[in-house]
Amino acid sequence: MIADASRAPALVTNRTLLGMVLFISSESIFFFAVVVAYLANRDAGLADARANLDLLRTAIFSVALFASSGTVAVAAARRDGRWIAATFALGAIFLGGQGSEYLRLLQTGVGPQSALFGTTFFTLTGLHGLHVLVGLIALAALALASRSRRGAVRPVAWEAVSIYWHFVDAVWVVVFTVVYVGTFV
Amino acid sequence: MRPPAESIGNLAVIVGAIALLIFVAVEGALVYVVWRYRASRTTTPALFEGHTRLEIAWTAIPALTLVVVFALMLGTLGEIGAALEPGMRVRAVGHQWWWEFTYGDVVTANEMHIPVGTAVEVDLLSADVNHSFWVPELGGKIDMIPGQTNHVRLLARRAGVYEGQCAEFCGVEHAWMRIRVVAEPADEFARWLAAQAAPAAAAATDGERVFMANTCVSCHAIRGTPATGRAGPDLTHVGARATIGAGVLPQSVADLREWLADPQRYKPGSLMPRVPLSGADLDAVAAYLAALR
Amino acid sequence: MTAVPLWVLRPGGSRAAGWLRTVDHKEIGVLYIGMGAAFFILGGLESLVIRAQLATPEAHLVDPELYDQLFTVHGVTMILLAVVPLLVGFANYLVPLMIGAPDVAYPRLNALSFWLSLVGGIVLYFSWIAGGAPDAGWFSYPPLAGRSFAPSPGVDYYILGLAVNGAGTIIGAINLTATILLMRAPGLRVSRLPLFVWMVLVTSILILGAYPALSAALVMLFVDRQLGGHFFDPTASGQPLLWQHLFWFFGHPEVYIMILPVMGMVSEIIPVFSAKPIFGYRFVAASSVAIAFLSFGVWAHHMFAVGLSAFETFFFAASSMLIAVPTGVKIFNWIATMVGGRIRLATPMLFAIGFIAMFIIGGLTGVSLAVVPLDLETTDTYFVVAHLHYVLFGGTMLGFFAGVYYWFPKMTGRLLSERLGRWHFWTTFVGLNVTFLPMHWVGIQGMARRMWTYAADTGWGPWNFVESLGAALLAVSMLVFAANLVRSIRAGAIAGDDPWDGFTLEWATTSPPPPENFRSLPAVTGRRPLWDAKHPDRRDAA
Repeated sequence: MIADASRAPALVTNRTLLGMVLFISSESIFFFAVVVAYLANRDAGLADARANLDLLRTAIFSVALFASSGTVAVAAARRDGRWIAATFALGAIFLGGQGSEYLRLLQTGVGPQSALFGTTFFTLTGLHGLHVLVGLIALAALALASRSRRGAVRPVAWEAVSIYWHFVDAVWVVVFTVVYVGTFV
Repeated sequence: MRPPAESIGNLAVIVGAIALLIFVAVEGALVYVVWRYRASRTTTPALFEGHTRLEIAWTAIPALTLVVVFALMLGTLGEIGAALEPGMRVRAVGHQWWWEFTYGDVVTANEMHIPVGTAVEVDLLSADVNHSFWVPELGGKIDMIPGQTNHVRLLARRAGVYEGQCAEFCGVEHAWMRIRVVAEPADEFARWLAAQAAPAAAAATDGERVFMANTCVSCHAIRGTPATGRAGPDLTHVGARATIGAGVLPQSVADLREWLADPQRYKPGSLMPRVPLSGADLDAVAAYLAALR
Repeated sequence: MTAVPLWVLRPGGSRAAGWLRTVDHKEIGVLYIGMGAAFFILGGLESLVIRAQLATPEAHLVDPELYDQLFTVHGVTMILLAVVPLLVGFANYLVPLMIGAPDVAYPRLNALSFWLSLVGGIVLYFSWIAGGAPDAGWFSYPPLAGRSFAPSPGVDYYILGLAVNGAGTIIGAINLTATILLMRAPGLRVSRLPLFVWMVLVTSILILGAYPALSAALVMLFVDRQLGGHFFDPTASGQPLLWQHLFWFFGHPEVYIMILPVMGMVSEIIPVFSAKPIFGYRFVAASSVAIAFLSFGVWAHHMFAVGLSAFETFFFAASSMLIAVPTGVKIFNWIATMVGGRIRLATPMLFAIGFIAMFIIGGLTGVSLAVVPLDLETTDTYFVVAHLHYVLFGGTMLGFFAGVYYWFPKMTGRLLSERLGRWHFWTTFVGLNVTFLPMHWVGIQGMARRMWTYAADTGWGPWNFVESLGAALLAVSMLVFAANLVRSIRAGAIAGDDPWDGFTLEWATTSPPPPENFRSLPAVTGRRPLWDAKHPDRRDAA
């Protein structure tokens, strides 16, 4: 986030931001549980993971998502819809990448029902993907609202969406590390 | 060697006594205080609102009591775990809704025999869902979880029949999944095991013919015959067991006939279907099974 | 002032549409309480059928399929659809009043929480007419709850209902947390919060930590059942025990979610009826925080029999014993609050004392369940059924009734009848002991829980018969309570603003309170603002 000393306390004094912080705290436990489930079943699925995952390809799409954390920070700082659009585009690229990964796996017969690896992989990445999708919808709503009626968007909405997007990004850092990096080290 | 159940019993008495003491003290204090400070006896309430040393005391004293309880628990766990050198091994597999016991090559069901004074290591497995092997008078329960093998050690000091029960909910007939553990002197046990090891004597009766000609054989095995099904209990020596259907009916020709005529009446939901047999066939099969001793 | 009947409380608008659209915290509180009460009745009826079936050995009043559905739905109903909504409803109604706020932090989200909770419950109950209710127990262990062994859609309704209900509960917890942190009246520091508010805060944080683990487990079970997944499928290297870990990571904090708010209620009631401030305020509050922390580290004491490693066994035994310490601290402080007081034995106080008396029993048997060898004998038996009902009926419900008698006048403007209240108390007190005390004994003797019937030769028949008689008495006690509610709403004595000579801010407004709660607020300089206002000469230390 952009350095701004007055902003940190806002997370716990502003009603909307505090709500968002509490929400993503509980979402963190949710993802923690799913990651634990992935790890608990990791060994049984490791051979499948090695055979089927494409580290490099997903790394490239991941960079798009990681970069979008920067763009959304700028968007929140400047309250600028164009940076939101950029964030949206990067998020969409990531989601598209995940979609193509899914297609590739499903075509080779790896699905949630095929074996333990497919079950844990599709559940974990799918739940993250759903959160990205929700984030994209929020970004789109924010961008549209900021274009149609300038000033109609409450300043805090920018920050709330930005916090959520950072969270989605942070979850992917964990998921990417556990699922992709963890498979090949 | 002290049987696990005795160690647990001793621990239960000590922990129970401590709990009872606390119960009497705290409930007594509560009742006394309510009686002593009831409105009709008191006019002006005191206004103190705390006492740090008291708080420390009633944090520390229960904590120390629990340290003692924890130490006692460790002692008992040590006793249960270390003192028993298993003298024999039995494999127990939980099925919906019966027990399979294997002694080497010998397979039997629902009634487990053990020699008195010998520690028996039981390997616990499940063929389907979670079950839990529990014979209260022989010790604590241990679950049977599909995909893993758990262990429990049994030791009976006295001969007799010990009743048990599946303790983890395992579906509709969880209730009629009883265990009978028969503890007997070593020589009697050896005779029992030798009898169980023998194949069924060829009967060449109508009952055997009906049994082999029907779907019975797809689920049940009778060693020494063409029946080799594994889905249901092994019936090689079914007549020697004291109950039918994992405890739902006593053993007798009449009860066997009742059971065969309509298992669902006595154990609704049981995986044993009603096999349409004529009255004469039912009589014959019941007599055949009862004779498998 | 005059009392206003409950059903015309809301200002303006047609009645039904008003209730559907309302975002007022008091009305949503009443909706929650109504939902909890309705499901409490359903769960109670289910338990009566269960007790009727078990009254005699080898009975065939219900078949095992129906029996399994009944105990499953009874558990889910009482825990998630009755107790939690009842407590959240009281929190919703009271927290803004007790902290001097006009409403909760997010009034519209508050409505969403309620409707999600209710829809979750309706989805669960819809299963009864849509192919069968869930029948794998309230903790639905796979593989039994998996597709192969539970092919009917009951477990799917369980998944969907609990997920939706849980989402509502999580949103509600966010709301209450933010309300308590951000909406306090000037001067009402965290160190001065009424203890009920403290407990609601701790409970809300527990919900935020625990419920997501259940949601995650439900998603996995859904994947297994509907998408052919293998999370819990041992035939494909999945792990049935993973469900148990995740479920109890939620399930044990859930126990504290159901007891802490009630402990908060009792912590309000005992001081008022002893005419004394609470003894050891800081310790009562701090012990709740300790319980909250510890409650996330005790879950596997539900799993001592699954074959844990020695380290896990010792760790969870120790942590489970440790959590008894802060719980004991509370009991000692409540008793010390009464010492030197002037105790009025009105119905709220009777129930509060009954709560302490019964909770001691549930607490002590709870400690015995942390002692592993004893747990291995008693877990999954009627001993555990007895223990959990001493905690949840003897504890939660008695404490909750204390709260109802205490705050009903604030919500309706009328007092509940003391005479019927005493009948209600004593029938409940006797009934619950007759029902649940013998269960300890039959459990130790070998009666496993969730048995649809038991053999006559076990000798458990007479005890079970007594238990069923106790259950019938409990049913009568609930009828007495219902009669008291109905009579008092119509014709109870007018309560006035402050019928109990209370200490906290909710008694500083009218009964029932106006839409924005307060016309004026007393200055808050201590923990008992209303006491200070009433006794300017004897104010509490700031």
